[in-house]
Amino acid sequence: MSLQVVAFAVLAALILYGSYKVVASPLITHSALFLALVLVSVAGVFLMLDAVFLAVVQVLVYAGAVMAVIIFAIMLSEQREIGGDPSAQRMGFGEELRRALRSRHWGLLPAAAAALLAVLAIAGIGRLGAPAAPGAASTSVADVGRALLTDYLVPFEIASAVLLAAVIGAIVLTAREGSDARDGGRS
Amino acid sequence: MPGWLIDFLWVVVKVTLVIAFVGVNFIFMVWLERKLSAKMQARIGPNRVGPHGSLQLIADALKLFSKEDIKPAMADPKVWALAPVVMFAPALLVFYVLPVGPNAVIGTDLNVGLLYLAAVSSFTLVGIFMAGWGSNSKYSLLGAMRAGAALMAYEIPLVLSILTVAMLAGTLSVQGIVQAQVDRGYYFVFPGIVAFIIYFICVMAELGRGPFDLVEAEHELVMGYQTEYSGMRWGIMLMAEYTNQFTAAAIAAMLFLGGWDGPFLPGWLWLVIKAYALVMVMMWVRWTLPRVRIDQLLDLSWKFLLPVSLLNLVVVAIFLV
Repeated sequence: MSLQVVAFAVLAALILYGSYKVVASPLITHSALFLALVLVSVAGVFLMLDAVFLAVVQVLVYAGAVMAVIIFAIMLSEQREIGGDPSAQRMGFGEELRRALRSRHWGLLPAAAAALLAVLAIAGIGRLGAPAAPGAASTSVADVGRALLTDYLVPFEIASAVLLAAVIGAIVLTAREGSDARDGGRS
Repeated sequence: MPGWLIDFLWVVVKVTLVIAFVGVNFIFMVWLERKLSAKMQARIGPNRVGPHGSLQLIADALKLFSKEDIKPAMADPKVWALAPVVMFAPALLVFYVLPVGPNAVIGTDLNVGLLYLAAVSSFTLVGIFMAGWGSNSKYSLLGAMRAGAALMAYEIPLVLSILTVAMLAGTLSVQGIVQAQVDRGYYFVFPGIVAFIIYFICVMAELGRGPFDLVEAEHELVMGYQTEYSGMRWGIMLMAEYTNQFTAAAIAAMLFLGGWDGPFLPGWLWLVIKAYALVMVMMWVRWTLPRVRIDQLLDLSWKFLLPVSLLNLVVVAIFLV
């Protein structure tokens, strides 16, 4: 039991630190890498809850596929400063936070949302019961598949339609007018 | 001793054994590759240190350990230094679900073993990105771009070909798939020959092996994302590469060739023998075919392997129903 608490504390600390660094890092590459850390740590939390399937899918979809797309966007971006300015790397906690908040006024919005969530979480401690005991709910792949195709068929189909629309939209947005199809986009 | 301490020590023993195997396997595979490539090119290969040059790689490893740790001045220090570790970790994690006998799995027999393998190996891209971007060098970045494009393009046919095996076996557990082949008395390579060939091409492309080694095309990109690494950091990257090659061959052996199944010899030995047979095929292809271009690499995946693997999946599904 105590080992579980230690493991959860480590994972929670990683998630919190990583999420903070995602928004506060002066370099976008570091943000992306900290995002990968957060996503993998969340998979660790799923593992602690015995949701092996969810943990594996979390790593496969988020840390694998989504990170790949983010990484490609960064590598193809026009950013020239790979190392960033050295002063930015030595920023203290306060300066980082101030920059993160100042960079856009909108930075206050997620900060307020996070604060609200924290207040709710603190208010909720003790009133909510413990999470479902690990192993209580079976999470085999067959069960997940059956649930998706029976109880949750409509949301599942709507989600696939949304994804299809997103794919078509991405193709429309990126396909350049008049580019030669046989060129394979190498122009 | 309390129970959890015994569990913990048992885990330590297993991890030590896996790492020891990885080290020995690395040295043996590099020696094998150098000898085989020499034979294919009518050369002799390493023959000075030890019988048939068998101690050459131990001497090389000692040299790597004793080299100066050179860090590029303009690199992003932490990202650059962590990259080999992030690349090596997935290579080790794959061993967790490998079955080595009828009731023996190295770690645990996860009921989502196949997905686990795909998830773990997809994380390699982050390490490559860290090496390519953190080095702050154009060759590294170009090499990482190529590696990323190859990884993304070949992941889909790869997973589709693995899915064919899952459908044939009716389970996602790796041990379950091997057991299904033993129970039915035939290996999945026969009903799944198309999937096997697709899987094999895809892993070779993802590993940057053979005709697909344009990731580190030495005459245009120096060494790709490995350019700025030297000494043992480069050694770890090379070890990750060869370990990935071995585990990819071992996974192919388990999914299509019956894994630990075989007469007389113990199960783990059969697995190693089958994996090494496939590794030698990879080496044979590598030293036979010329390198492809990046557009040919991507065309092969998106325009040929992806439709074929989708079609194969449908055909197998129709036969099963």
